[in-house]
Amino acid sequence: MKTFEEKWTAWVDGKLTGKDLVEFEASLSDRASAEAERRDVQKLGALLKKELGAQTLSNADFFSHQIRERIQREIAAQDRHGERFTWWTIRRLTWAGATSLAIFVICAVFVIRDKSPSQQSQYLTQILNARVDPAVSPNATITMFEAKEDKVTVLWVEGLQSLPADYAAK
Amino acid sequence: MHRRLLLLATCFALATSAAPAAHAAHVVWSGLVIAENVARPTPIPSELTRIEQTLKELFGYNQFQVIGQSSKTLKTGEEDWLASSKYFGLHVDARGETEAGYLLNLKLYKEKELLLETDTKLSKRSPLVIKGPQVGSGQLLLVLVVQ
Repeated sequence: MKTFEEKWTAWVDGKLTGKDLVEFEASLSDRASAEAERRDVQKLGALLKKELGAQTLSNADFFSHQIRERIQREIAAQDRHGERFTWWTIRRLTWAGATSLAIFVICAVFVIRDKSPSQQSQYLTQILNARVDPAVSPNATITMFEAKEDKVTVLWVEGLQSLPADYAAK
Repeated sequence: MHRRLLLLATCFALATSAAPAAHAAHVVWSGLVIAENVARPTPIPSELTRIEQTLKELFGYNQFQVIGQSSKTLKTGEEDWLASSKYFGLHVDARGETEAGYLLNLKLYKEKELLLETDTKLSKRSPLVIKGPQVGSGQLLLVLVVQ
């Protein structure tokens, strides 16, 4: 069952026919006023159809252009947005990695240079020569060796004149 | 571009700051030590802690007492100094610095009498121990350590 409004709309649009048309028109209390209103509505509809339809068609390219521009703006904004939050791009990661590696190599070179002398002779203390006064200690002998555990170099002098305990004074 | 320059500047700063550290001034500790065997040995002086085991094994004593010492900061590698006790004097004359350490001339005096003279290349990582004369029941040792 159609409501009055539905029947009114169909009547205005000229889509009400047959028995429904007769019944609806009979139900109108002021037929003349209703007819006038229908004409006004039809005029308005025609006007709107004409104006809006013509504008849409004539500005199709303009709207298309506007839509494309808007899409491009949105894409550019998304790109900028994405760039701000992903600072670590592949290029920057590569640079950061190369820089870190360079810093590591520099530090390693200095550490290795400081801790590993090229020769054993540089690593341990060397005794170049040693002598005692033969007049004071005629039987003295000198021996040199290295205690590898603590990397201690020892100059072992035997035969020096023994001294009394008083000489241990500070 | 600015970030690249900043990174390069950082690398350069690291490199230049590391270089002087490798040639920093060192302190040479020289000591006259009496080694003895006693019933209740006193703790070994801190300067000898790192070579305590070697001293005990080599010389067979359980106590090591410092009777004279000197700590010298070497800046040019040409300094000289004296570590002395009441009767002994150890004169150390630094005659230059090498990559590994210092060239030193050492003279041990008993009062004014020269007992021993030696030239050494003292490594920064290798202490030098010299066995001196017997003193009473103990032994005089000369120790040099780059700290």
